[in-house]
Amino acid sequence: MILSRNAQRLLRLNHTKILPSSSITASFSSTTSAAAKSTFLIPPDAARQVVIVGGVRLPFSQSSTIYEDELTVDLQRLAITGLLNKYPQLVTKNGDKTTSVIDYVIAGNVIQEVKTSNIAREAAINAGLPYNIGAHTIAQACISANAAITTGAQQIMTGQADVVLAGGVESFSDLPIRLSRPFRQKLIGMNKALKKKKGTHPAIASLQHFFGGKEGLKSKDLFGLETPAIANYTTGEVMGVSSDKLSAKFGVSRQDQDEFTVRSHTNAAKAHLDGFYKDEIVPYNGSREENGIKGDSTIESVGKLKPAFVKPHGTHTAANSSFLTDGAAMSLLMSEEKALELGFKPWAYLRDWSFHACDPWEELLLGPTYCTHDILKRNPSLSINDIGVLEIHEAFAGQVLSNLVAMDSDKFAQDRLGGADKVGALDMSKMNIKGGSLSIGHPFGATGSRLLTTASRRLQQEGEQFALLAACADGGLGHACLIERYDK
Amino acid sequence: MMLGRLAARKAARGAFLCQRVHPTISALPARFQSTAAVEAEETIRAPPPSFEPKAGRKYEFFQDIEMTPEGVAVIRFDGPKSVNSISFDMSREARVMWENEIANNAEVKAVVFSSGKPGMFIAGADIFDLKAVENKQDLVGLIEEGMDFFQLMKDKKIPLVCAIDGPALGGGLEWTMWCDYRVASDSPKTKLGLPEVKLGLLPGFGGTQNLHELVGLQNAMDMMLTGKDVRPDKAKKMGLVDLVVASQSVESVAIQSAIDLATGKLKPKRKKKSLMNRLLEDNPIGQKLIWNQIDKMVAKNTNGNYPAPYSIIQCVQHGLANPATKYKNEREQFAKLAATPESEALIGIFDGMTQMKKHNFGKDAARPVNTVAVMGAGLMGAGIAQVTAEKGVTVLLKDRNDEAVGRGQSYMKGNWDKKLKRRRMTKFKHNIASSNVIGLTDDNPATPAHFARAGMVIEAVFEDLDLKRKIVADVESQTPDHCIFATNTSAIPIADIAQGAKRPENIIGMHYFSPVPSMPLLEIIPHEGTSDATKATAFEVGSKQGKTCIMVKDVPGFYVNRCLGPFLVEVSAVVRDGVKLEALDKALKNFGMPVGPVTLADEVGIDVTSHVAGFLSNADLGDRMGGGDISLMKDMIGKGWLGKKSGQGFYTYKGKKKTISPEVEAYVKGFVQQDLGLSEKEVQDRIVSRFVNEAAKCLEDDIIENPVVGDIGLVFGTGFAPFRGGPFRYLDQVGVGNYVDMMHGFADKYGPQFEPCQLLKDYAAAEKKFHSS
Repeated sequence: MILSRNAQRLLRLNHTKILPSSSITASFSSTTSAAAKSTFLIPPDAARQVVIVGGVRLPFSQSSTIYEDELTVDLQRLAITGLLNKYPQLVTKNGDKTTSVIDYVIAGNVIQEVKTSNIAREAAINAGLPYNIGAHTIAQACISANAAITTGAQQIMTGQADVVLAGGVESFSDLPIRLSRPFRQKLIGMNKALKKKKGTHPAIASLQHFFGGKEGLKSKDLFGLETPAIANYTTGEVMGVSSDKLSAKFGVSRQDQDEFTVRSHTNAAKAHLDGFYKDEIVPYNGSREENGIKGDSTIESVGKLKPAFVKPHGTHTAANSSFLTDGAAMSLLMSEEKALELGFKPWAYLRDWSFHACDPWEELLLGPTYCTHDILKRNPSLSINDIGVLEIHEAFAGQVLSNLVAMDSDKFAQDRLGGADKVGALDMSKMNIKGGSLSIGHPFGATGSRLLTTASRRLQQEGEQFALLAACADGGLGHACLIERYDK
Repeated sequence: MMLGRLAARKAARGAFLCQRVHPTISALPARFQSTAAVEAEETIRAPPPSFEPKAGRKYEFFQDIEMTPEGVAVIRFDGPKSVNSISFDMSREARVMWENEIANNAEVKAVVFSSGKPGMFIAGADIFDLKAVENKQDLVGLIEEGMDFFQLMKDKKIPLVCAIDGPALGGGLEWTMWCDYRVASDSPKTKLGLPEVKLGLLPGFGGTQNLHELVGLQNAMDMMLTGKDVRPDKAKKMGLVDLVVASQSVESVAIQSAIDLATGKLKPKRKKKSLMNRLLEDNPIGQKLIWNQIDKMVAKNTNGNYPAPYSIIQCVQHGLANPATKYKNEREQFAKLAATPESEALIGIFDGMTQMKKHNFGKDAARPVNTVAVMGAGLMGAGIAQVTAEKGVTVLLKDRNDEAVGRGQSYMKGNWDKKLKRRRMTKFKHNIASSNVIGLTDDNPATPAHFARAGMVIEAVFEDLDLKRKIVADVESQTPDHCIFATNTSAIPIADIAQGAKRPENIIGMHYFSPVPSMPLLEIIPHEGTSDATKATAFEVGSKQGKTCIMVKDVPGFYVNRCLGPFLVEVSAVVRDGVKLEALDKALKNFGMPVGPVTLADEVGIDVTSHVAGFLSNADLGDRMGGGDISLMKDMIGKGWLGKKSGQGFYTYKGKKKTISPEVEAYVKGFVQQDLGLSEKEVQDRIVSRFVNEAAKCLEDDIIENPVVGDIGLVFGTGFAPFRGGPFRYLDQVGVGNYVDMMHGFADKYGPQFEPCQLLKDYAAAEKKFHSS
């Protein structure tokens, strides 16, 4: 594929990340002009603009509740059909022949079902999409859907695609629980072993294989099972413990966290009540209810809970940590040209993003701070105050609040951001006002798409110009993404 | 709607019961589709031109034999029609071919039977053959000729191998059982079975003798008595086939197997029976147990009305006891069955169904429909949506809110889950079908864009004329000009709904029966102004949905419900005349109805039944709705005795048993005016004659086009005793003259409601029959 010159430039930009300061010609007073001469990854004068045209999610739900009998792939499939049904012009049927304007499908997914390792493909064709549409699946922990979205954006930027579905899915209702490693080894090696003992009766040979000699299976091998834990592979640390430590480091109290949690639930419940999510959630069995949202949460009720990770003095509880969630979401990205040709009115432009990673031992979940800083640093014309819509993933109340503290800390900027300006204080009245992962839930692979859809729709409704999404992820990964309202 | 639901549920119940209860009939089209008989239609209307051999094509029914270097003769079935079938002509030609090319050819070391048509082995025996034989006794000789060929084939004493890709049914499967080795493809098209019993016949080419040797007695009896077909993997497990491979390699594997069999490298292995089956099947005591069990099942399921299962049992038993005469006995039994009125009736239904597959508006009259909107996601709407989406058509399922739409979608999902469990559907098909359904509501912003693509709208909302007219107006404004508006009303004249419409020529009635997925019938009701394109499109959509469609005139009750009206009235009349509720149910069941009328009313709901009867009483049937007192049911509504749904109707439903409570007994007693001590026969005749007379009246009034439509309508719509073939064939069999005399007798005794219609009198006077055969 021959890349357009513009695309080449864009890709280079993406890799070099930081622009020489000489390229910044002026400082801007008005945000409109800021956009005009900005240094965004996809500046307004770029030939190919990536626009966010639509998005949906299945109701996010506590695991082992409404989706208990669904496979993970089914959730993703339902999110895709939900999106296709919302935008009828995406698919055309003529007799037995189905055609679609969609060029590619990308899905994020973390806890993988081996039967559907490329879940994007299976979900797409089971949703009735034509076979010729390519698809792949991305795992990048809690920012998998963000990775899917930005990958899709790159395909559009380079002219590889015009219309991309990008989203993700997670189900904790059907975890891959495995036999113990020794048991697995014995099973896998059985055929070979039996061949060696050809003379012996197969039943006896198998018994010998499994239980004979020093290497025979012990009862703990037989009955011990491996369940996936929400812990980092390298450090061995459980997320909740990392976040608890982070909160201690940044001085975020239990009280702060509980208040933030109640705020999340109250906001989410209100958004549902106001019908904000009616156009965003596709009903499952006729319902848009998200059963993790507890609108009646109070500081008192939340305060009663005991620490869940660090005992007895930790600050993280089952309430102020996001719960295990099943759900799926899908975003619809297009080149601006194609969107207009198809008669869409886009929600927003995708402008810039960062996947800055950090030290998993010390600051596993501090990615949002680094990534937000990245974006602001790259676009000096833009200050945090220019951003009118904030959608920050709430893995733990303590994690979000720690990031907020870090962003507004001169010392942190001095020590960790190489002496650059701090990000600044985030305006809470702009942040997660429709709820967040603490209340709505956090299906790992899907949350990024939810953030994008909600942020885009908020931009349209609230009339703000810029929205910032940010999320932390296992492995010390982080993500931030900047979008701009479409108002042509 | 009410009326529709009554008939519909009744019929549903009917079909359900006859499906479960009677292995033979199952008036369901799905069942008939897999029947042994090949569509006779083309043969009847236009016999194929006589065959002229030419270079590269010596035979009419076979491709030229291909010899492999290893000496395997590959014989491929390739009849002149789109499906391969076994006929007497074909078997004669096979014999000639064998004698000329195989019998004395020492180079032939083995033979492979395959097909020249991909995905089509042999779909069965040609039904036309049977009908053409005037004296059914002649069949004995004809079958013997065919059997001689199989014997000749065996006499060559070389390995015979079948490569089965596609259906091997009836005679097709019997052919394979004369061979030594069977290789089947795993294609979804491949199915093996002996469905003769569904046409009141038995497998006459050795099937009753050869099947149990391969698969054991229990499996064999199950296959032959139910007529169900077996998928390749199951067939392999049973021992019916030796190998299952991909369809791409079925022939090459068969050839290789033939070579290996010829060289002795491969020995055909009989499937080993399990210990349990050996205990049961291979000793007299065990066999006796099995036969007892089978006798009980058959007696229960046939109610003594179907002779074929008994003949099949006789054949197998006779063969076990007298091996020397087993095939002779089998063909004699076959000829006997072929001469029974039951077989004639069942074949008549099959033929009728085949005829109903085509309309006569021309090939291109129908418009293509890619998207069907269904208004109303209730039981009816969801059912319509289900059968449409299953066939790959996009469905817009619309109701007033998401909850209602969600309930409809859950209903479909439940039905599809069941199919998945029974392996009637793959998970992928399930997913695609559900993806085809788009749930919509008025406040969904995408609704207008979806409706702009609809080629047909089917309305299944409440029976309210104003509401329906409003929907017509709404739909007309949202849909393209060619979009057809079908209403699923059962009580409102289509013409009334079309009045004031912008495009009345696009409006038509499509009356489904509930539950839609299992009910095989669809009444299509054009009004005066309906265009041919609309009629043809409705017909094709209905057929695509798997329904047998009948075209009916726009009169109250249309055809099926209209016939049910007088039937219901007469039920109340016989109760008044002292017939006990249980006796009433029993009488009609013994006549061959799938369920008695009292149980039926309970199943449908007393309120609904009462409403239907009331509606037709006020319609244009006059005396024909007289003679009874339908307030019997009306008064039950006030008591909350609504039928099965409320736990209390005529019967009391507690647990699995249904009983008649003293309270109901006392209530019914209040209606009894006299006890005439009616015999079961008289009860049957009184009720059935009202039903049959109304059907004849419908023919007289051109409500239905011909007796075939009339038969199919009542058999598929109400479960009318299938072995009697429907009301018109029933009249033919008892004699119209006799029937008219009987009705006159009733008219004198009970009143003018029994006056036979003019058409019946005319037929009686002219001694005419409704069906020529």
